[in-house]
Amino acid sequence: MTTLAEFMNSYFLWRDPMIVGAAAGAICGFLGVYVVLRRIIFVSAALTQVSSLGVALSFYIEGLGLGILSASVHPFVFSIVLTVAAAVFFALKKDYSRISREGIIGFGFLVAAGAVVILGDRITKGSHDIASILFGSAVVVDPADAYIIPGIALAAAAIQFIYMKDFIFVSFDEESARLFKYPVKELNAGLLIMIAVVAAAATRALGALPVFAFLALPPLAALYITERLRLVFLLSAVIGVLSAVLGYFFSFVLSIPTGASMTICACVFFIAALVWRGPREHA
Amino acid sequence: MQDLIELKDVTIGYDGKGVLGPLDLSLGRGGFSGILGPNGGGKSTLLKTMLGLLPPVSGTVERKPGIVFGYVPQNENFDPIFPVSVEEVVSMGRYARVPAGKGLSKTDRDIVRRSMEKAGVGHLGKRAFRSLSGGEKQRTLLARAVSGEPDALVLDEPTASIDVKGEAEIMELVESIRKESGAAVIMVSHFLRTAARYADRIILIDAEKGVFREGAKSELLTGGMLADFFGLPVNGYSVPDFGGDV
Repeated sequence: MTTLAEFMNSYFLWRDPMIVGAAAGAICGFLGVYVVLRRIIFVSAALTQVSSLGVALSFYIEGLGLGILSASVHPFVFSIVLTVAAAVFFALKKDYSRISREGIIGFGFLVAAGAVVILGDRITKGSHDIASILFGSAVVVDPADAYIIPGIALAAAAIQFIYMKDFIFVSFDEESARLFKYPVKELNAGLLIMIAVVAAAATRALGALPVFAFLALPPLAALYITERLRLVFLLSAVIGVLSAVLGYFFSFVLSIPTGASMTICACVFFIAALVWRGPREHA
Repeated sequence: MQDLIELKDVTIGYDGKGVLGPLDLSLGRGGFSGILGPNGGGKSTLLKTMLGLLPPVSGTVERKPGIVFGYVPQNENFDPIFPVSVEEVVSMGRYARVPAGKGLSKTDRDIVRRSMEKAGVGHLGKRAFRSLSGGEKQRTLLARAVSGEPDALVLDEPTASIDVKGEAEIMELVESIRKESGAAVIMVSHFLRTAARYADRIILIDAEKGVFREGAKSELLTGGMLADFFGLPVNGYSVPDFGGDV
């Protein structure tokens, strides 16, 4: 077990992953409020799996040694393209004959999850083992991610700053938004694409499990704590950051897997909010 | 009277499948139209076609250019998971005049506040919408509809989930808004008495029987017509007890 002093002295080791984790936790926590309120948590699970599939697929193609094709498949770009394509499909296609939308999302999740495990078994590059793609092992991250992930988070925050009223409106009352000639399809697709890009970028850096956790658990905890919508967004982003930072810290000092540690921290916040709310619910 | 909405040879329905038509209908400014009919009779389909939320299967629907609707959907349309406040819900009505990408100005916020006061929910601004009683929710939704300064107030079963006293209060509020703003009112209702008291024009619709009648209240709310339409022994004289002049 590492002591706190040792942890502080290892600043150069954890600075980048901590920045990446905090940025991903903040923006996933924020956008996750839409995911929870629109009751599409399973969509975010499917998107993180598809993102993992993109990463695994790019490593697999890279390992095939197909010359220029293998060299041109970048895991980051491949993951984002695949995840955005899935998001556009889920956003625009809502009616399926005979089966529910959840059924199709479940199908997408399972196909992606199965394919990731199979591809993981075939990936020749030993450093990219499947556990790290799925569950996260971001003890160290690509130094570029310390700029890319906060950059994507800031871009998403800027879009939210301009269109937040509209995203909330179409999420709460789509019918009135259509009546008022709001660009409902574009807003719905834009929101899901934003979630997809964030999920894809964060999944490649941290793993599918913690990203799914950040999209679901901080918003659920925040919804237990306050009845004010704008505060829910703020609190959820803060809980996302705390889950990532504390998760990384415990992973470092206790030598446990990083992604799982972040996920458990988010779970602890959710349980704490549940316990805090309990007596007030019946007061 | 200038027409706000005009339906010409319109067949209403879903997914390209007609349920009733062809219909001709025009609604002008300032009037109060009540749409009556049984469950599943096509009332909401007609309403949504008029609003442009559903395309007609055939025919044309013309709306006054730039028309603004104030829409009061059924309560159940809103997911209680959303922790939106009364003030936030009412503000959404103002979005009818504020495009995507723009925020509410101080003038818009003043109009929202005045709409809340007019509807009697000024003191509930910070309360969560989901925590309100049925009557308070309807008042909030009316305030929301009014805050857009609409040409037409469209009410879908506005008194379906509230008691008799609450119903009377809501309808008096609708009537006072109509008189004050000059907006047309289009109301879908199950309640014959409510429509008889407030509406000046009645639309009877039953897609299953292929019935569509539109006309002045005095023409349509007669014992014979109602008995024929509802299939019940309706006494035409019972309607005036509630203020109508049938």
